[in-house]
Amino acid sequence: GGTPRAAGKPLSEFGITDGSTIFFKDLGPQIGYATVFFWEYFGPLALYAAVYFLPQLAYPHISERPEKNLVQKLALLFWTFHYAKRILETFFVHRFSHGTMPIFNLYKNCSYYWTFGAYISWFINHPLYTAPPLERSIILFTLAMTAELANLKCHLIQANLRSGGSKEYVIPSGFLFDYITCANYTAEIAAWLAFSAATQTVAAALFATAGTCQMVPWAVQKHKRLRKIFDGKDGRKRYPKRWIIFPLVF
Amino acid sequence: MARADTAYLLLYNLAQSIGWATALVQTVLSLTRHPSGDQVYSAAGLTVRACQGLAALEIFHAAAGLVRGSPVVALLQWAGRSNCLYAVLHCIPQLWPSSAVAVLFLAWSLSEVVRYPWYATSLAGGSPAWLTWARYTLFIPLYPAGVAAEMWVLYSGLPWIASRRLHSLALPNSANFAFDYHWFTIGLLVIYLPVWFNLYSYMLSQRRKKVGKRPSATKTE
Repeated sequence: GGTPRAAGKPLSEFGITDGSTIFFKDLGPQIGYATVFFWEYFGPLALYAAVYFLPQLAYPHISERPEKNLVQKLALLFWTFHYAKRILETFFVHRFSHGTMPIFNLYKNCSYYWTFGAYISWFINHPLYTAPPLERSIILFTLAMTAELANLKCHLIQANLRSGGSKEYVIPSGFLFDYITCANYTAEIAAWLAFSAATQTVAAALFATAGTCQMVPWAVQKHKRLRKIFDGKDGRKRYPKRWIIFPLVF
Repeated sequence: MARADTAYLLLYNLAQSIGWATALVQTVLSLTRHPSGDQVYSAAGLTVRACQGLAALEIFHAAAGLVRGSPVVALLQWAGRSNCLYAVLHCIPQLWPSSAVAVLFLAWSLSEVVRYPWYATSLAGGSPAWLTWARYTLFIPLYPAGVAAEMWVLYSGLPWIASRRLHSLALPNSANFAFDYHWFTIGLLVIYLPVWFNLYSYMLSQRRKKVGKRPSATKTE
């Protein structure tokens, strides 16, 4: 075989002429990143609200329909904001390095998000839900929203790192990135931990844990890659000393 | 691999080999004295629980890179067997006298008493051909027997799990969490067959690689 060739350049630039042999690798059926992200985020958005607004479908075995308390209402607002933000970021903020991913990812990712969405919503909006003290919840929801906005700011910074169609790596800087390589993940984890505490729901804590277990290896990879590229030699910058994902810990 | 790592793994595999050999002997002796198999759990239960508990280390071996394989797979395999043994069988004494327990312990101990020595000899320089053959052949009857026995235990435990609300949590509570172990066990039974079928096919394909094609017997007239 040969080495994979960069996209966007004419074949002649690689010395390929009539009679050359080209090797193709079949990546399997592909689907656009934005398409996958939209469906994996729209599912939890719709399912959570469906469980909230349609208790007769979600809890057919329970006849009591107590009024939702403020904690449950704030949880609906936070959840909706989170996934609406993700959808908007997919279309207006994120720049994807690859255009497509294997279609299997669509089913895998949607299963993950949709199942957790329904699972968490079922417990928070349950007729037998026990709300934690209101003052505590309000403080925790405020923390969660702050983390959400911090995450948004991180995404905006990351979207503006590369100029034009450049595929070059750039050292992220500004805001939390001055201290943490993957500050966006840090903010995301903080938001979900705060949400779990605000709603005092094990299901939400399980989701926060599952997300953390995925984000930590990604953060380690990203950090290693940046440190490898920015080694301070041959005029390249040296990657500054930063936390990988959890300040003061790791 | 570092010498200390090899030494540790050798020790681990030796310990498990001895443990499972003990379980096998206890099971067989119990069957000779009580052929119905109703004393097997009393005879070998503690040994089997000890070996299975120790086997949790294998998850860390995979996570630390000491052995090949995914720690997630190791966790799932350990959790599946442990759930059957600790969460169901041990918790429901009414199941202990059943002959399925004898089948279960025989299937497990016969497989392990081959597998752990095979790992140990592989580490020590190379497994003898007969041991490799045993490791990649005995599973053919032992896996289905073991799976059938495990499923029998889970299925038979269902009435007691339901009536005692075993390992279950109901709403309302301050953690806003509920878990119905009865439904969980039913779900587990549903996925047992496809999961084990996959594992079985994988072992069969591994067998072709490690043991090779057996020369076909030539017919003589």
